[in-house]
Amino acid sequence: MKHLLAITLTLFCMVTYAQDYKFGKVSRSELSQTVHPKDSTADAAVLYKKEDIYFVYTESDGFMQHREIHERIKIYNKQGFDYATEKIYLYEGNGGNKERITKLKGYTYNLIGGKIEKEKLKKDGIFEEDYNEFTEINTITMPNIKEGSVIEYSYKIVSPFLAVDDIIFQYNIPIDKFDFKFRTPEYYVYNKKVNPKAFYYPKISNSVSESTGKYTTSSSSRTNTINGSKNYGQGSFDYKEKVLFANEVDIPALKVEAYAGSLDNYRAKLILELSAILNSYGGVEKSFSTDWNKVCKSIIADSDFGNQLTRFNFFKNDIQAIVAKGNDDFQKALLLQTFVKSKVKWNGFYGYTAMKGTKKAYSEGEGNVADINLLLIAMLRSQGIKASPVLVSTRDNGVPIFPTRKGFNYVICMVESGEGYILLDATEPFSMINVLPSRTLNWQGRLLRDNGNSTWVSLRPSKQSSETTSLNIKINDDFSVEGKIRQSITDHLALNYRKNYSNLSADDHIKRLERNKGDIEISNLEFTNDMDITQPVKISYDYEALDAIDDVGGNLYFSPMLFFAMDENPFKLEQREYPIDFAFPFKDSYLINIMLPEGYDVESLPKSEIFDFKDGESKFKYIIKQNGKFLQLSIEMNLGKSLINPNDYVVFKQFFNKVVEKQAEQVVLKKV
Amino acid sequence: MGSKLVLPLALLLLIPLFSVSQSDEDYISLGVPADLKVNSNAVVRYDSQVVEINDYNDMTVLTKRIVTVYNKYGDRHSNAVEFYDENTNIKALEVKIYSQLGEQIKRIKKSEFTDQSAVSGGTLYSDNRVKFYEYTPISYPYTIEFTSEVRYKSTAFVPQWRPISGFYLGVQHSEYKIINNTDIEVRQKLDSRGFDIEEIAEGHYQIKNAQGIKYETYSPPLSEIAPLLKVAMTNFSMEGVPGINNNWQDFGKWMHDKLLMGTDDLPQEVIDEVKALTSGVEDKVERAKIVYNYLQEKTRYISVQVGIGGWKPIEAMEVDRLGYGDCKGLSNYTKALLEVVDVPSYYTVVYGGDDIKSLDSSFSVTEGNHVILCVPTEEENIFLECTSQSNPFGFTAGFTDDRDVLLVKPDGGEIVHTKVYEADDSLQDTNATISLDETGSFTADVSITTTGYQYNIHEGIQNETSRDQQLYYKDYWSHINNLAIDAIEINNDKDAVIFSEKVKLSSENYASKSGPRLILQPNFFNRVTNIPQRYTDRKLDFKIDRSFKDTDTFIISFPNTLKVEAMGEGETLNTKFGSYTYKLEQIEDQKIKYTRTYILNKGNYKKSDYKAFRDFMKSIVRSDKTKIVLVTSN
Repeated sequence: MKHLLAITLTLFCMVTYAQDYKFGKVSRSELSQTVHPKDSTADAAVLYKKEDIYFVYTESDGFMQHREIHERIKIYNKQGFDYATEKIYLYEGNGGNKERITKLKGYTYNLIGGKIEKEKLKKDGIFEEDYNEFTEINTITMPNIKEGSVIEYSYKIVSPFLAVDDIIFQYNIPIDKFDFKFRTPEYYVYNKKVNPKAFYYPKISNSVSESTGKYTTSSSSRTNTINGSKNYGQGSFDYKEKVLFANEVDIPALKVEAYAGSLDNYRAKLILELSAILNSYGGVEKSFSTDWNKVCKSIIADSDFGNQLTRFNFFKNDIQAIVAKGNDDFQKALLLQTFVKSKVKWNGFYGYTAMKGTKKAYSEGEGNVADINLLLIAMLRSQGIKASPVLVSTRDNGVPIFPTRKGFNYVICMVESGEGYILLDATEPFSMINVLPSRTLNWQGRLLRDNGNSTWVSLRPSKQSSETTSLNIKINDDFSVEGKIRQSITDHLALNYRKNYSNLSADDHIKRLERNKGDIEISNLEFTNDMDITQPVKISYDYEALDAIDDVGGNLYFSPMLFFAMDENPFKLEQREYPIDFAFPFKDSYLINIMLPEGYDVESLPKSEIFDFKDGESKFKYIIKQNGKFLQLSIEMNLGKSLINPNDYVVFKQFFNKVVEKQAEQVVLKKV
Repeated sequence: MGSKLVLPLALLLLIPLFSVSQSDEDYISLGVPADLKVNSNAVVRYDSQVVEINDYNDMTVLTKRIVTVYNKYGDRHSNAVEFYDENTNIKALEVKIYSQLGEQIKRIKKSEFTDQSAVSGGTLYSDNRVKFYEYTPISYPYTIEFTSEVRYKSTAFVPQWRPISGFYLGVQHSEYKIINNTDIEVRQKLDSRGFDIEEIAEGHYQIKNAQGIKYETYSPPLSEIAPLLKVAMTNFSMEGVPGINNNWQDFGKWMHDKLLMGTDDLPQEVIDEVKALTSGVEDKVERAKIVYNYLQEKTRYISVQVGIGGWKPIEAMEVDRLGYGDCKGLSNYTKALLEVVDVPSYYTVVYGGDDIKSLDSSFSVTEGNHVILCVPTEEENIFLECTSQSNPFGFTAGFTDDRDVLLVKPDGGEIVHTKVYEADDSLQDTNATISLDETGSFTADVSITTTGYQYNIHEGIQNETSRDQQLYYKDYWSHINNLAIDAIEINNDKDAVIFSEKVKLSSENYASKSGPRLILQPNFFNRVTNIPQRYTDRKLDFKIDRSFKDTDTFIISFPNTLKVEAMGEGETLNTKFGSYTYKLEQIEDQKIKYTRTYILNKGNYKKSDYKAFRDFMKSIVRSDKTKIVLVTSN
């Protein structure tokens, strides 16, 4: 008896304390909450989210994807009001295939004078917008929102598409409880993967259940489109359902950090991709992607990809003379890249499949990434050069996580010759061999060789970009300084410089150079190799700076790097969760020559010093010498690796602090 | 602040047009006169707008625009775009592209234009749509020709003529012509702004060979320096509602009678509620404050623009039920609430924005992009921003201050000027006590107090998380390396409109070391570091939008192992642009007091004054870097 009582009590307690997540059962305690119990900075929180995806068989349409969403959101303050508005995107495909939204309902709950008041979401809070030919946006905005409101809405999307949207497990606000279920008929095989870069990992479980598809007897002759089989009895058929599910609680909000690239890269999410359709006997009817090689094969089989690589006729006559100038495969590749750049301009669209097709892009002079780079590969292949596409996921698209076609959104070109290889991208006018636009510098890409093999290649540049500055400083009697500056810039730094400056007039270029350099006048600017991408960028100019030197109590004070001294450490956070990504390694060096003014002697100089980060992975060197009337400095910042681990952040920040402090150190001159 | 803009997109649009004297030469890039290429990313070869008015509710606009584009910054000048809605019929639309030799290389038909909903930022839904074409150039220069014919049933927005529609845009030939087939008077106002505009015939204007205007820092906006023709029909139709516009008086009357009347009913319980809230409160301003607070607690801003809803508020009853509305709906709702407690107020049309832009007091035309509410008192007009849940009562700095606005009164419209925040109204007072050690590190208690426009700049920080507040201060004082924020205390006095921030902080190695010396910059917390751009030959006058005043007092104490070797001598500057002074005093053996006052005066200044202005700013930047040299005393 005693035991029984204890059990009853326990159960009873559980019932009392459990939240009720049924639609409409918003509790007084949820409404009276004023701050999130685990994250006091949250402007709003998802108290409950339910996402249920399953397939329903209808005789007219076959299996349709149903996606049911139910969300209950707490709004703590006015900054959280934005969460009372939700945008729902519906996709339209070709031939009238489109997603529909049904059963949309919503309520706002407020606690007014101790009483729960609820207000229904009506038609005037629902807006359907034909955004463009592929997208309809349904925007809902909840009525009567106040600080403390709880809103709740639910809807169902019925989709004719088999593709499943990513399941988002983490928002920019906390999620207290998330119930997720994904049920698929046994005929569909989906790959699943959670984002490995995320700091929150949902636990995904499996099970199997039974289900029944129904159809009417009158049209039994209709071929079942799913498995191509006519063997069903009339009326209904049974099938197994595979179930993925997760029941997560207390999912923390995703917070923004600087210099981390796209925040979405770190969001907890489940990615699902159809990999095969099976027949009713379990055999593979149609295979999509299951491993990287299969993904690659299916991409090659795509006519907007593979076929583009085999059409040579339309350009054959135009490239003979060009290729003839090249001595080896790499030279020929460079010549053809230059030719493609001049012939077809990038229209700004990404994609690894051709938008127009190489032929049309070639004749119209415009195309997306695939049109352009597949054209380049086709040209190279037509010359017997071993050129292959490399599938890429751009920096803002995240890293390709598991075998999937949709993980990629870009394609570049690799040329192999002997032991070596080079990478090319003809969409960017200033890109060079192995110097690709920074959008592509994302971890690794998938190389698809002609023989059907595929393998990973690193996209992270290993070669250091460099900027070398020589700075002459002459100190005048009025303590202004003047001199000449010469800079030589290579690789990615050169690419960026050309992108920023080659379009400018000399006048505007000078204005940009004068920016943030204090009271300076720049003249006699020379900008060479601005268009010759095979050479480093060279610039030189004369300058006069009026405020570089301080005369305090008869002594002169100045930083020998003048306006080149970095005056602020960009890394402000105490800790970081995400890596710092500089995109490419670089070396910044300065050779400075200072002529001392008549009548002054050195009172004190900064010390020569070298410090490093991680045993010399990155290094800062500061050498200063006096040589009669001259001061000579050699200063070098050498960043050996472009990716800094969050574990190393604190040490790296200290390293950077020392660099900034060192650059601020002053030379002191005194009157003799 | 949470203020938001609302405006039917058609109003923002300048629709460029078609005519007679255009030749094949215009398609050849090489034919551009050399002096027009200077300062130009693109040159308008030929631009013609013909506005044909057939009835008070029937207007057709023919546009033909040929532009030669030299680089990617010039692409946008093709203006190959038309907005439309239910009352707008795009009858013809076409783009042709020509090579630099004038050969046609592409033709884009109406059906090939991108068609998209024109819901702009901040708006939840609107029934406006847009058709546009974005060309990807194969090479520069190229020439693009855009032609369109659009028929409007709404005539409230007759296209304005802005022949120079951007910086760095040369104009070889542009013309504008009104064909009026009705008896309706079509009023026009031309601001030639010193440009050579020819009026060929009544309602037919033209400009030729205007060089590109280069943007210069502190320039007034282009809309104040480029030629502009405003046009308004005295009888017009707005989305099916007929209107009259001879002057602001009767335009305002029309707005009142046709757009506002009958939209102010409220549920009885709300009437009872606000009456109860204000019962016993005699002063009208106090009653208005209570109502404004009631509004801020009850509603939020959501913008929905459908049909004439672009100009007509949704009913007060609806706002009450939904708990949201746009600037029109919320202002009108507040007006209705104020009526209940016997406080008169006027619906007020304004250009909202950080840029100061006035309605034209001398020419009435459908303009403005925002609505606020005016509560008149005997001393002044109080303006209420009804879209914000946090704005202090009557505070307008930074969004609707210092500009001409239209009051919509029952007996007609009236233009008035909103509050001007003078330097003394927009204060920032920074005080700090600083304790420096012999290594050059310091700890400090800093307090910043702001009012007026500077309140507006600072107050947003109160809504950030403590982590982001820390980052904000590290950024605010980014010149201080190794800055650690130890405590933050923020107080927003919304009644007095004073925002105060107290920050405890510390930094290592702030003063730089050189041998036995520490070199210290005593302006720890409020430095001007940016010198305005240098121009050898400035072309444009310049403008300072708002006045403000900064005062700073920093007390720096240091250990007795250090003594002062030398320090800056102070500076006083007095100019018409403002004044600046800093002083350094050793008030005790181990204590230095740094004081600074900086005032900037708003105004329109001549280009010949720019060098003096830049010299003033240069001196400030230099003085803000003044140094104290401390030397180890043993």
